[in-house]
Amino acid sequence: MTIQRLTGTSVQRVEDPRILTGRGRYVDDVVLPGMLHAAFVRSPHAHARIMSIDVTAASILPGVHLVLTDADLRPIIGDLTANGSPGLFVATYSALARGTVRLVGEPIAIVVADSRALAEDGAALVAVEYYVLDPVVDMDDAMRDDAPLLYPEHGSNVIYRTEHRYGDTASAFAGAAHIVRERFLQHRHANVPMECRGGVADFSPATRALEYTVSHQAPHAMRFQLSLILRQPTHLLRVRCGDIGGSFGQKGGIGREDIATCAAARILGRPVKWIEDRAENLAVAGQAREERLEVEAAIDAEGHLLGVRVKMVMDTGAYPQLGFPASGYTNVVRSLFPGAYRLGHYDFDAVAVTTNKGTYVPYRGPWEVETWVRERMIDVLARTAGIDPVEIRLRNLWNDDELPRKSVVGVELIKMTQRESLLQARERIDYDAFRVEQAEARKNGRYLGIGFCNFIEPAPFMPSLIKAIGFMAAPRTPQEAHIRVEPDGTITLFTSQQPHGQGHETTLAQLIADEIGVGIERVRVVHGDTQVTPFNFVGTGGSRAATLASGAVMGAARQVRERILRVAAELWEIDITDLDIVDGEVVANGVPSRRLPMQMVGILAYTRPGLANEDGSLGIDEHHAYISYEGTWSQSTHCCTVEVDVETGHVRVLRFVVVEDCGEMINPAIVDGQVRGGVAQGISAVLFERSAYGADGSYRADSLSNYLVATANDIPHIEVVHRHSHPDDPVPFRGVGEGGAIGAPAALTNAIEDALVPFGAKIREQHLPPHRILELCGLI
Amino acid sequence: MRVTVNGTERSATVEPRHTLAELLREDFALTGTHLGCEQGACGACTVLVDGASARSCLFPAFRADGTSVVTVEGLGGAPGAMNTLQRACLERHSFQCGFCTPGMLIAATELLAENVEPTEADVREALSGTICRCTGYDSIVAGVLHAADLIRVETGAASGSAMGEHS
Repeated sequence: MTIQRLTGTSVQRVEDPRILTGRGRYVDDVVLPGMLHAAFVRSPHAHARIMSIDVTAASILPGVHLVLTDADLRPIIGDLTANGSPGLFVATYSALARGTVRLVGEPIAIVVADSRALAEDGAALVAVEYYVLDPVVDMDDAMRDDAPLLYPEHGSNVIYRTEHRYGDTASAFAGAAHIVRERFLQHRHANVPMECRGGVADFSPATRALEYTVSHQAPHAMRFQLSLILRQPTHLLRVRCGDIGGSFGQKGGIGREDIATCAAARILGRPVKWIEDRAENLAVAGQAREERLEVEAAIDAEGHLLGVRVKMVMDTGAYPQLGFPASGYTNVVRSLFPGAYRLGHYDFDAVAVTTNKGTYVPYRGPWEVETWVRERMIDVLARTAGIDPVEIRLRNLWNDDELPRKSVVGVELIKMTQRESLLQARERIDYDAFRVEQAEARKNGRYLGIGFCNFIEPAPFMPSLIKAIGFMAAPRTPQEAHIRVEPDGTITLFTSQQPHGQGHETTLAQLIADEIGVGIERVRVVHGDTQVTPFNFVGTGGSRAATLASGAVMGAARQVRERILRVAAELWEIDITDLDIVDGEVVANGVPSRRLPMQMVGILAYTRPGLANEDGSLGIDEHHAYISYEGTWSQSTHCCTVEVDVETGHVRVLRFVVVEDCGEMINPAIVDGQVRGGVAQGISAVLFERSAYGADGSYRADSLSNYLVATANDIPHIEVVHRHSHPDDPVPFRGVGEGGAIGAPAALTNAIEDALVPFGAKIREQHLPPHRILELCGLI
Repeated sequence: MRVTVNGTERSATVEPRHTLAELLREDFALTGTHLGCEQGACGACTVLVDGASARSCLFPAFRADGTSVVTVEGLGGAPGAMNTLQRACLERHSFQCGFCTPGMLIAATELLAENVEPTEADVREALSGTICRCTGYDSIVAGVLHAADLIRVETGAASGSAMGEHS
């Protein structure tokens, strides 16, 4: 009999029945006996010295149980700090502000009360006196010699500076036919998960065990940091995650509020719930992407890239996020900027500065600016040299017969399919027909444009990339899976992935069902509990699940399959090679009467020593680790067409085509959902989103009415086309979590500039709301 | 106050500043209704009040006195059961993280109650008051159009499929 393989098919999601019927369990749904509620007192100033804090009125408010400031916490907990990477200044800071506040929204006190409303009432009664200091709001201001300093002990707002030279750009530029010099600005915006951050801390004064249920994408990292900072023994600290309402990188670090909430629960000996509101989330949960790149690029008369010089400035905000250092971002940008293009001479300088703004956090494809600037730069070069933008890309991409090879920075380029995806995108969008349509439209005063973008995405990071980045201790990243056959023959997977929308309860179960030979309904995926899941610092992030989690799961499943077969082999005294598992039963080849259902396998494995395991141990319980290796690239070409209304400045995205090569797909519908969701975030970033600050450091985008996010009316149907290149390694799947968001801003801004050629508009910034379009066209 | 929630009459004592969302989530333990912004902007908390969609995060609880409220938990009838819209969304992989889902399903319910032959534009307009950060909306639009197709078949209404599935 033939069993349909689930891998490669759009199996319905295991998560959906609960999500669709309102039975998900998000952190705010957690209710514990005697639970209290927390609210935070936050700074209204971007930069100020705290002169005094008076909590008296809040403390005596009926219903308020506890008010804590740094003075209360300092004797009992540690500070937030990270081991610096070389040359990087990493500030040490406290959960609640100590002495100085450095951004609007900085937590100063936590108030714990019978209800959240009462906690907020109490917070409003905490009186704080400030001596207001001059803020640093702009990256250029931060670098001025006379700038106010966020950290006087460091002596500068520049926290990192690096210079890299590859080849000889001076000679390369000397032979150029065209040189362009441009400055590209990417604006600060944010992850904006629909569920804000939050946690419920439960401390038992009897056992001194702390359990923290939190909306997070990396529970083991949370536990590790909490243990250090709270001085809570790790064996008495359990972190759990239920359903997570999105994260996109924001919920990977530890929040100051997490620490204060846990500390309050430990002091009170009662559960404390903290649920962030949207104003807090937009101001202090983390912001991303604020980077400026000055680029000089040289080409010959045929458009071949001769050399590139990049000077990057990154605005990291007020406090370092623990986990991923600022120098990590600039060095990933440096390492990925060449992409799959021939580039032999390359200079890259970077500076990271600190300002009185929200903490810089990773956001879906945290290095995305390398793609945006490179692909914008290529369009500028094409226009300068009078070469078609698709043609100039084709002239510069590596050819298959030149690979594998190391890029200019030493990254291994293996099996690049950018040329094919670019040609396929050009065909799909019907490029030549579009150019005719565009010319006709212009005659009628309508402005259409088209933009392309190529990128290669490390999914997951490979050893040569990690070496090129240069700061990570471990060159290879592992992932572990643990699979148990239960006494009734059902199967439980414990994964270190922490899905927050990616559907791993479905995709990992698909792999196990296929590897072992059972139905998917007999497999359950367990995540989100540090007490039972394998350790991993990253959880779900970095587009690692498709290759690394899958590899670990498939390896563990194969080991489990061997043990299952061993039960039947020992029982029947049949050679193991004559056995198979078909549709949940062990069968003996050629002996139709020999059938052992999984229920019997389970019972036997747990009751008959020696059947499943030679050493006599009971049950079937297998661990397997899988580790990263070279060649794990996902690759895409994005192409979009737009119409710009030059009366209103409104940009309408007409078509958006993604040609994606992520190897084989486990669940195509889930892959498409990841790609489309990322593209929508990229479109939204360009047309709507901005974490806006006033010149005084005030925060101007603290609601979804002034921080705009694209709706169903703003995002077109996104056409996703798959190329199925087949990697040679045993796990043929590549990550797709981040690519959509990496490619979309470049394709869209290229299309907008193309539409506005008649106006001579130069698109050198990424945020293009209607008024800015009109300004760039010279119309207002 | 007395309110009918998902067909069951309930009563509660509420403070003036309590919202309908708090009443549903805290007093009635119906946590399927989610709070995404408490500013009336994201739409995740949308419920039906006497058949019309309302932002439960801004809707004072006392104003629900005497009304009939439908939440996501009430769509499928029996616990765990799914109605046509929910099944259609399951089949189209409509959602990812699930946080906007209650608002999207309620907005779609309101649309389909008025119009069982919506165009893609009708669906996008109806869903435009709810923000989804995961999907790019395509799969949700496809799910609602698929639901409309199924509902027309079930009720024998005029056919003429709009667009049940994207290419």
